[in-house]
Parts: sequence; C-alpha cells; structure tokens
Amino acid sequence: MRTNLGPVWTRWILVIVAAFGLSLFTAACGGDDDDNGGGGGGGGGESFGGQAKTAASKCGLGNKKPATGEPIKIGAINTKQPGTDFSEIGRSAKAYFDCVNDNGGINGRPVQMILETEATDPAQAAAAAKKLVETDKVAGLVGNSSIIECAVNHKYYEANDYYVIGAGIAPECYGTSNFASVNMGPRHSVTGAAQYLIRQDVDKMVLLQSKVPGTEYIEGGFLALAKQEGVDTESLAEPVPIQDANSVALRIVQAAGQNGGVLLNFTPPEALKILQAAAQQGLEDRVKAWACSTPCNTDFLAKALGGAFDGKLGVNAELNLISADEPDTNLYKEVLKQYGKGISLGSFSQMGFLDARIATEAMLGIKGDVNKESVNEALEGVKGFKTDLLCKPWYYGDGPLHIPNNTDRTVTPKGDTMVIKEDCFEVSDADAPIKRVRDLEKKEGIYQPVGG
Amino acid sequence: MPSWDEFQPFIVTGLALGGVYALSGVGMVVLYRTTGVLNLAFGAVGAMGALIAWQLINESGWGEYPAYLVCILFGGVVTLAYGVAFGPPLAGRDPLVKATATLGLALILLGAMSWIWSDKARSMILPTSTENFEVGDVLVNYTQVIGVAFGIGVTLFTVAFLKFTKLGTAMRGLANDREITATLGVPVRWVEASAWLVSGLLSGVSGLLLSNLVGLDAATLTFLVISSLAAALIARLQSLVVTLIAGLVVGLVSAMATPIESISEYRNMAPFVLATVALLFLSRKGRISLSGRSV
Amino acid sequence: MTVAEAPTAPKRPSPLARLDAGDRKRAVVIVVLLAFVLLALPGWMSAYWTDVATQVAIYSVVALGLGLLMGRVGLVSLGQIAVLALGAWTFARLSFASGMPFPIVLLLSGLITMVLGTLVGLPALRMSGLYLALITLMLAGAIAVVLTATNFPNGGGGFLGHIERDFGNDSVRRPAIALTDSAYFRYTVIACVLMFLLALVHVRAKPGRAWAAIRQSEPAALAAGVNITLYKLWAFALASFMTGIAGGLMAADVGQLFTFQFATSQNIELLAVVLIGGIYSLWGAIVAGVFFKLIPALLDNWGLPADLLTILFGVGILQVLLTAPAGLAYQFPRDMKRLGGLLVGLFRRAAPAGERTS
Repeated sequence: MRTNLGPVWTRWILVIVAAFGLSLFTAACGGDDDDNGGGGGGGGGESFGGQAKTAASKCGLGNKKPATGEPIKIGAINTKQPGTDFSEIGRSAKAYFDCVNDNGGINGRPVQMILETEATDPAQAAAAAKKLVETDKVAGLVGNSSIIECAVNHKYYEANDYYVIGAGIAPECYGTSNFASVNMGPRHSVTGAAQYLIRQDVDKMVLLQSKVPGTEYIEGGFLALAKQEGVDTESLAEPVPIQDANSVALRIVQAAGQNGGVLLNFTPPEALKILQAAAQQGLEDRVKAWACSTPCNTDFLAKALGGAFDGKLGVNAELNLISADEPDTNLYKEVLKQYGKGISLGSFSQMGFLDARIATEAMLGIKGDVNKESVNEALEGVKGFKTDLLCKPWYYGDGPLHIPNNTDRTVTPKGDTMVIKEDCFEVSDADAPIKRVRDLEKKEGIYQPVGG
Repeated sequence: MPSWDEFQPFIVTGLALGGVYALSGVGMVVLYRTTGVLNLAFGAVGAMGALIAWQLINESGWGEYPAYLVCILFGGVVTLAYGVAFGPPLAGRDPLVKATATLGLALILLGAMSWIWSDKARSMILPTSTENFEVGDVLVNYTQVIGVAFGIGVTLFTVAFLKFTKLGTAMRGLANDREITATLGVPVRWVEASAWLVSGLLSGVSGLLLSNLVGLDAATLTFLVISSLAAALIARLQSLVVTLIAGLVVGLVSAMATPIESISEYRNMAPFVLATVALLFLSRKGRISLSGRSV
Repeated sequence: MTVAEAPTAPKRPSPLARLDAGDRKRAVVIVVLLAFVLLALPGWMSAYWTDVATQVAIYSVVALGLGLLMGRVGLVSLGQIAVLALGAWTFARLSFASGMPFPIVLLLSGLITMVLGTLVGLPALRMSGLYLALITLMLAGAIAVVLTATNFPNGGGGFLGHIERDFGNDSVRRPAIALTDSAYFRYTVIACVLMFLLALVHVRAKPGRAWAAIRQSEPAALAAGVNITLYKLWAFALASFMTGIAGGLMAADVGQLFTFQFATSQNIELLAVVLIGGIYSLWGAIVAGVFFKLIPALLDNWGLPADLLTILFGVGILQVLLTAPAGLAYQFPRDMKRLGGLLVGLFRRAAPAGERTS
C-alpha cells in the first residue's frame, strides 16, 4: 500500500505550503497587532501617555547608562496553558528589569530574568522551582503567579530561604512566611466586592465562582462578612470553561432575586461570557447590584460589554486604574511601550511591573555583594514601599503570612474604559486572616487607616 | 426544588444550548454520511475561522460582513484541502483511522490558534445577538433562533438532498462502498470534494454562531465536539433527524438541571451519560457496526 | 481495525524461540540501559531533569497500557487518562486512609483501578472500532466532570476524603525508602520496569497469541476456539492495572493532585503520542512517554512555545496513519540504519577525495 512514496510526498508538500501560507497570513495580521501594542490596551497607553501631566518615575537608578557587570539572576514561574495565561506577569517584570538594565542596573550589574511556565501540572511546577533554585541558582524569585505553584512549592521556598514577591492566586500564597503578593488574591478581592454589594443595600448576595481547588477557601471571607452584616448568602461554583452561559446567568439572577446582588469571581473571558449572556437576556436590572472580583478590571471587558453594565457593575480593583495620571503608573505605561512588546496594559502587567519595581528598589539598597542571601534578606526587609498603584505602602517583613495589599477600590465600566466608582477602602476585618494581618500591622506600627 | 415558573426560562436556554450541540452534531453526521469520515476537527476549523474574523475586524479594520464571509470560506477551504489531501489515501481504511486522522488536523489547528491568540479574552458579537424578543418572561436573541433554525434547516435540506438528488445518491453510495460506487461511473473525487467543501462551510457558519452562543475561545470550541458527539452517537452517526432531536434533548436536560442545586454541578455530564446509555441500549441485541459493514 | 491492516507490523518471534541470539543481545542492551538509568542518571541529572524523567517513566506506563490495547488487541480507548485519574484518586484515598506500606497501597490501587477500568471496557465486548473509541471518550468526559465536582483526596474524611483547608494540603506520602527525588525516580523506574515485564510476559504467552488472533479476525479467532470475551476483558484489565499503578506513582510524586492534570483533551494527546511512538513495540511506549513529558520540558528550556508541540502531535498523527503505522519505535532505527548506510557511503566516496586534497 505504501510502496509509492510519490503522492504522499506531494501531499506533505501541499500541507507544508498551506501551513506556510497560513502563517504568512497570520503573521501579517499579527504585525498589525504589534503595531497597536497588543490590541486595545496599547492604544490606550499611547493616548494616556499623551495626556500625562505628571512626570513618570525612573527605572532603578535612572542614569541612562547600560549595566555591564555580572548579571544577577532572577526567576519567575507563571501558569500558561490554553485559556489561562499568567505569563504576562513574568514578562512585564522582565520588561521593567530591562528598563533598569538600561539605566544603571543594580549598581552596575544587570538583572537577568529567567521565565518558567507551567500548565497547571504540579510536577512541572515543582520541577520549574527546582530548576530555578538548583540549576540556575537564581538570587531571587520575583513575579511568580500560578494557579497551583504556591500550593506545590511553598514548603520548598521555606526550606530554601527564598522570599518570593509575586501575584498570588492559590490559598497557600497567603499563608506562608515566604511569599508576599502585590495583589490580595481572590478571597479578599471577593470580600471587597461583597462590601460594595452591602453598601448597595442588597438583602441577599449570590457568589458564583469557577470550580477550581480552593473555592471553599475563597468564599471564607465572603461568608464571614455576610454573617457579620446579617445578609443572606448563596455560594455557587461552575466548572470552566462555561458552555451554557445563558443558563448560568439565569440561575444566579433567580437565586439573588429583585433585591439581591450577584458577585462573580472568574477569569476575564469567563466573567465576560456570563455578563454578556445576562445582557443579551436583559437580566442587568433583574437584581439590585452586580459585582465582580479583580480580574474583571480590564478596559477590554468594558468595551466588550458595550455599555450594558455601565455604572451597574462594581468591580473590585486591587491596583490603581491604568488611566491614572501618577508617576508610577506613567512609568508603567512607558516601560510597557518601550520594553514590553506584545504585553497588554491591564492588572496582570501592572502586577509584574510592581513586583519588579519593589525588588529593584530592595536590591539597590543592598550594601555589599548582591547574592541569593543578600537579595532575599533585602526582599524580606521591604517596608513602607510607596507607590501610586496601591492605596497604601507595601511591606514584606517576617510575619507568618503576608497580605500587605489589603485596601482596594471599586471601579465600573464607562464606555470603553473602567472608571473609579469608590476610592480606597479597607477590606473588612470580619475575615480572620485580614484581622490577623491588621493586628500584625498595628503591632509593627505600620498600620495606616485608609479612606472611610 | 425551583418552581415551574423558575424552570420556564431554562427551556429557552436549553433549546438554545441544544441547538449548539445539534448544529455541530449535524455538521459532523452530514460529512460522515457522505464520505464515511467523522470529522473531529469540525469545532477547531470553525473556531479558527471565527478567530480570523475577529482578527480582521478588530486589528485589520475590516467590515463585519466581509470578515464573517472570510470565516465561512476559511472553514470551507481548510476542510476541502484536508479532504483532497488526506481523503483518498485513507479511503480504504477503517472509519476509526479516518476519524483519528482528523484529530491530527484538530491538534494542528488548536496548536496554531493557541500560539497566535492565546493571550487574552476575546469576544465577537454578531448583530443578531443584540436583537431580541420576549417569550413569556424570557428574552430570546436572534443568534439563538438562527442556531436552532440553522440546525433544523441543514438537517431537512441534507435529508432531502441525499434522498432526491443524483449527487446525494452518489454520496450515499460512496459512504457505503467507494470501489463499487466508482465502478458504477460516479466521479468519486468530485463528489467527495463537494461533500468536504459543504461540510467545511457548515463548520465555518457554526464557528461564527458558536463563538456567540458559547464564547470565542480556541480550546472550548475545539473540544465542544466531544459534547456534540453525544448527539451524533445517539443517532448512531446515521440519522440526521435523530441527531437534531438528541442535540436538543441533551441541551434541555443539562439546562433544566442547572437550577437544581443537588445535580447542578454534574449537569455537564448529561451529553456523556445520555450517549453512553443510548449506545448500551442500542447495542443490547448484538454488536454495533458501522454503515452496515462488519468491522 | 486500524492496526490489523498495518502492512509493516514487525513480526514477533514465536515464544519457542524465546532466547534466540537477538533476544539475548536485546536483553544485554536493556540491562546496560537500565543500569545506566538507575545508577548513573540520578547523580548526573539536576533536580529539574530528575522530576521530568520521573514523569516520563510514569507516562510511558500509561502509554504502554494504551499501546497494548491498540497494537495487540486492536481496541482503541480514548479514556486512559480518566483511568489514570481513577488510579491516582484511589491511591491518594488509600494512602491517606491507612498506614499500609507503600508497595501494598500501590498494588491495591492498581487492582481497584483494574476493576474500574474493566467496567469501562465492558462496552468493548459489544462495540467495535469507532464506537468503542467514542464511548470511552464519553466516559472519560463524564469522569472528568465528577472529579471536578468532588476534587482529589487531600487528607479529609468521608468517602471522598477531600476537605477544604485555608492553608496547605496534606501531601500524599512517598515510600519511606524513596523520600528524595533521586530515590523516588529510581523507585518509579523499577516499578515501571516491572510493568513492562508484565506486559512482555503477557505478549509472549497465551494471552498474546489470543490477542493477535482477535486482532486479525474475530470470527477466525472464535472458530479457533479463542474465548474472545475473556481475552478482551483481560486486555482491559491489564491496561487498567498498569495505568492504576502509574496513577499511584503520579500521586506520590508531587503529593498533590489537581483535576487540571486529567483534562479530557489529554486523552487525545495521549493517543497522538502513543501512535507517534508506535503501538507494535514496547519501546514505543517509552518514546511516547518522552514525547508527552520530556519534549515539552526541552521546548520550554529552549524558550519555544508549548503550542508547537500540539502542532507536532497533529502532524505526527497524520504522518503515522499515512506512512508509518508502526510509529517511531520501528521507524527510527530503520531510518538511522539507512542514514548510517548513507553516511558510510558518503564517507567512502569522500575519503579518496580527501586524500587527494591533503
């Protein structure tokens, strides 16, 4: 049957030619993509950059001299798989370090960023950590963000004295002495969004989140807050990807009722599916208020919803708006424009940027040799780091757990962007971990009351 | 247990979801009936078409309708190219080999899609998704209506086509036995090519509809065929009408389970369980084989 | 079925010639290889590659199970990843519930998975070809939904053994003699070698002959007095047992299990690597394991996107089905031999020319 190889080869040539044609086609389209700096977000960056009145902060030393010394290795592990991609966090950290390297580096030494990805496979996550620590011998870990990585690796970091700065997702990220996040994670963001709903005077709150390990952890703060405030609750979880968003939207609206509020905790594409389904079925006004945890805070979502939820959806925002005209936010936009090819503006790249910025400032303060010991000592020692991306100064310290970002804002879609709806407020200490962190802050004397 | 009033809207969403399953199921059975190939890349082709349309509209500044046309044509061209390149050499092989080969195409397209469009969420809203009317207490949009109507239309058209036209008879014959059909003077390659092209255009159309009904996401749309297969399996890959009805039933069952707390989490099992039960039931009197041919 | 028609299926030696010269040569090669893998590799590999190699070993056993079903009996199951998940679940549950020694828990979870997997295989008795493949895919989809809803055991009570804790799950324990990564790698390799031996024994003895008869023609096998029901179920039982053992080894490797690891789409990727590796040779299973776990790690290290691999799997499926039904395990040595011949030829031709220039 296979004796004549001729036709087979012709076929393969056909396939290769077709594939080549396809890649040319997509490359042509992709070229457009890059010109726009990663879709809508990039365009926004330009216009905001144009309007910026406040001067941007500087990368590291800001002396415009390229760093030439021996590189300092920094590693990061991010989840990357079809449908879930956190690699922007590591890549935007790298973009900031690249800017630092062009501006004097860490007192003359450049930072070499080593990025690892994992596809929610624990073996892969564990192996990636071992590669960074034992093979690459990185001086520090900055920009970690993964669905499972904290759960798998936190003991390893504790045992090896690595003090990681990242963007936490898994519960373990917020329960170890060796991981501090620039964000507050899903649990506290959900609590913050629930506080918004309570301020809208709802009589029942329905939390809907994606069915992943840790759903019961995430709802912990929400339930504690509702109990304290005497509001009815219902907590539901949906496996993702959602195939029947219409039914799901109907279900939560029915569960909440006329005077109730709905709270979504999903990645942007899944949240968008539900909100779009609700809009298409005319369900926006069937409940008293809609809320969403941090991932919904992207201009893309506002644009895609096309005004249906303007002013009606309160999105909890752990970081400042991209459109803010402040020194660090302006620097963030400049860095992404110049060094972050293909990275879109949004919470993810803000987190990576902030991770790297904190780490850079810490490393610049090291007196003597910059190595694994001194870097991790410096990271752990970060205190009172001021930035306009957060509501109050960020710190690491030697506490048994870290939730330094425990104040947030509420934003809402307006036209094609997100705008502030409520300025900085404290996440409720009805939830035990927040209470614990606030007590620690008070004991250390770094507690700052915020907003009202 | 929710009241009847609360259930009612789920009938509408269930039918819309069932339309989704039926659409893909019918698309796959059409090709299977005519060429003997179960095209498991049906969803991947449609997804890629929809993503290209998204790219053209949002990044290259194309108008909506030309972009939709490109999506549909993309489905047709890619499926036809696959059919022309890989149909003949695999023609003599077992149906399973043919189906597995289309998985190859599905993986190639999926890899390409997640390479090019992996990074962020996308959405593309058809003009019909924003127009709606009320049924009882529920808003129904025209994309949902088109989804169901399209499934029914394709089914009826194909059934009539296979039954009453010369080309249709040729296709039926082809699916049963290629060699004999060829000796009867039917232009086998041409007939097969047209079947591939039509099924490809169908995958393009359903890609557009599904990107609205389910979401514009490469992996979701690619693997949606697994759920849609259930409807096709219940029809034993033979009857288009049964596929259509089975698709609607599967959609209804899983939608009606949504508001019931105790089984809501397990409702995505509906297609798999229904297909397994149906197959076991159908095969209780002896083994199932394909297209009347022993394997 | 698919593979019965394969024109280039290598002939297996009859069991009578069990220890001919070729076999002895092969045995020596295998022993040397194994000694290298067990003794030299762990010291030489970094912790990262040790982890990757452990995964390769585990998945080659999963591939072995599917390869046996497809290549030997002609049954295509698209539900082996779901069976692997059942194995991992069972192992984790048993491990948390009792203090029994590791090998006993491993064996038990293999046996329980065997029973469950055979149940999945029951429809195989009635269905053939495409239907069997699709119904196993349906069952895999259903199992994935249930696992998403129930989660994996993490030290909790009750039948499901899952408890939501704020911080830190209990880890599934490793054997006391293999707590370090290198030691666990050795342990895994030995367990996997035992599975390969088990497969070899089956293939070379009566079941292997019965399977070959079934694969070639069921009516003929029936006429020859082969108990088709028994041997088909036997094949499913054997494949499920192995996959169950692999699941147990996987559970204890990192100690944490997530439903993401067992996505239904992985069944399709597994089919791809098993086809690429080759279903007629036990070596094919190792090639499949390498493709499933080692090549992604290599791509990652070279900074290439993992999506390339998905494309490669797709191309591999088409390539194998069209031109090389016996897979890489068969094709590669042949191609190398040919390439070697070509190189020798070139060298011979080039050598005189070289002499002239120097």
